[in-house]
Amino acid sequence: MKILVIEDNAELLTDIKSFLEKEGNVCEVASDYRSAFMKVGVFPYDVLVVDITLPDGSGIDIIKAIKNENIDAGIIIISAKNAVGDTIHGLDVGADDYLTKPFYLAELNARIRAIYRRKVYKGRKEIVFNEINIRPELHEAFVNDQPLILTKKEFDIIHFFVTNKNRLLTKEAIAEHLWGDDIEMADSYKFIYTHLANLRKKIGELGGNDYIKSIYSVGYKFTDFE
Amino acid sequence: MNLASKTNRYYLLFLLVLFPIMVVVDFYVIKYFVNYEVNDVLLHESERISYELTENGNLPHSNYIFGTTVLPNDHSVEQAKFGDTLVFEAYADKYIPYRTYEFTTTKGSQAMKVSLRHVLLEMNELVLWIFGTTTVVLLILATGLFFINQYIYRWAWSPFFYNLSQLKDYSLASKEPVRLKPSNISEFKELDEVVMALMNQVKKDFQNLKEFNENISHEIQTPLAIIRNKMILLLESKNLQKEEQQWAQAVYQEVNKLSKISKSLTLISRIENQEFKRMDIVDIRTVIDNIVRNMEEIISFKDLKVNMDLSSVQVQFDQVLANILFTNLIKNAVQHNHEGGYIDMSLTNQRFEIINTGNISNVSTAQLFNRFEKGDRGTNSLGLGLSISQKICEIYGFRLKYDRDDQKHKFSLFFNPGS
Repeated sequence: MKILVIEDNAELLTDIKSFLEKEGNVCEVASDYRSAFMKVGVFPYDVLVVDITLPDGSGIDIIKAIKNENIDAGIIIISAKNAVGDTIHGLDVGADDYLTKPFYLAELNARIRAIYRRKVYKGRKEIVFNEINIRPELHEAFVNDQPLILTKKEFDIIHFFVTNKNRLLTKEAIAEHLWGDDIEMADSYKFIYTHLANLRKKIGELGGNDYIKSIYSVGYKFTDFE
Repeated sequence: MNLASKTNRYYLLFLLVLFPIMVVVDFYVIKYFVNYEVNDVLLHESERISYELTENGNLPHSNYIFGTTVLPNDHSVEQAKFGDTLVFEAYADKYIPYRTYEFTTTKGSQAMKVSLRHVLLEMNELVLWIFGTTTVVLLILATGLFFINQYIYRWAWSPFFYNLSQLKDYSLASKEPVRLKPSNISEFKELDEVVMALMNQVKKDFQNLKEFNENISHEIQTPLAIIRNKMILLLESKNLQKEEQQWAQAVYQEVNKLSKISKSLTLISRIENQEFKRMDIVDIRTVIDNIVRNMEEIISFKDLKVNMDLSSVQVQFDQVLANILFTNLIKNAVQHNHEGGYIDMSLTNQRFEIINTGNISNVSTAQLFNRFEKGDRGTNSLGLGLSISQKICEIYGFRLKYDRDDQKHKFSLFFNPGS
């Protein structure tokens, strides 16, 4: 997947770029409106990650320009403005999704994947991780071709894990992915813990391996490396 | 009391004081002039009679003659004098006041004393008349003043009232400038100028504050994002000592907290700035249902029993704020509950009520809505949720009330507290 990240903060740009490249994407960057505009005009991208506030212009204008040129790319707005109005405005001009800063890179990755899946595979893409097989649009999961019966949140967890395999997912990032910004509370971490135990058990019963590794006490990693 | 009735009241008070003064002054002035006129008539008549008697020797006919007395020749000459007397008049069956004038003259060589009289106004009648006419005059004056005053109030003050209503409807958050109606009354002009200057200053300050808030939220979030990403990278590296890993974890958690605080404070200031002004028709029951469904698993995980008695209620509200408000209230009831407890929710057109079991908190009811006030210190909550809820209620005119009864906590949200 070819991604263009438009963000004026160099450090954040590097973080996003290296994260996305580790996932096997081709990732290009632009740190201002002008260079972003030029790149968008010349190269085809699958997904664009656009910061609204740029030193020499607004990300909204880039989105408008892309839509005018009929360039078929998925667009995610990243904005520090916790402004509902701004983001809704962004969605109106044709962005597919938005994230407010600070966001988790794992979350950004999951959103990019989801858009890409919708755009390119029209939602019929299966995600395969060894013996585990996930069909995101149908909310179905299989282990060794046997259906894995999960609650909605359990499905969301395994989907989030597989999308961000080999990555440290902190408890906070998981909680935010499952419930959104507003519902973070102490109980949610206990809840995640319990549901991971259930998930392990359910996968184990179908002959799957335990890929969920606990990393210190800060979070989890879904990996088949030892 | 408005300006017109206030001025009218003082006019009336003034007229009440004026009234007796006018009556007294009128009385004496009229009396003086009537006497003066009557004296004049009597003097004139006395001269005519004297002349006739002296020249022709006849007593002329006169309506004023009251009596004549022939005086002995050696009678000393008396000074002519005026006097007042009451004469009983049989035809009127009462005493009538007369002005009298006595003078001496000669008929040939005979000295004669002639007394003249002229009827005077009756005093009590006079007083009555003056009283009556003064009352009528003052009444006309009072009504005239009242209507003139009313007219001035409506017409001359109309730019003032128009501008007042403009200012009432004005919101700092709106981009539209206030348009004041010009007036040719210099006081109003001056007032308009002062108000405009004041408003421009306030607007400028508000703008600065807003920009500051926006800048802060923007400038702080990006560094926080970077710190957080780097901390995750650090935690991912396998070479950390136990202790280092604990430090990294602590930094990571505090950064998370910082970013949540900054997001919440930004939200509060945005609500205070009244930047959420959409008036969606929000179906509260749907909002609550969605929130409860999203938390379903946590609720059953905590083994909470949820009873809901919700009627379909629609309220004019901003959809986003509605979500935040009810999420906060329901989250609160879940978070501060103990395992195996319950949550009761009821929704009617007037109010939403949520009762939950929970430990006794040691924060006073009044402090509960303050920023950074936590019910129990143990939890990770920031203590901003309720103050956000309170702010939301303020701008929509709702009322949020908290009651505590033993181990039961109740939040009541009234949609129309006034009625």
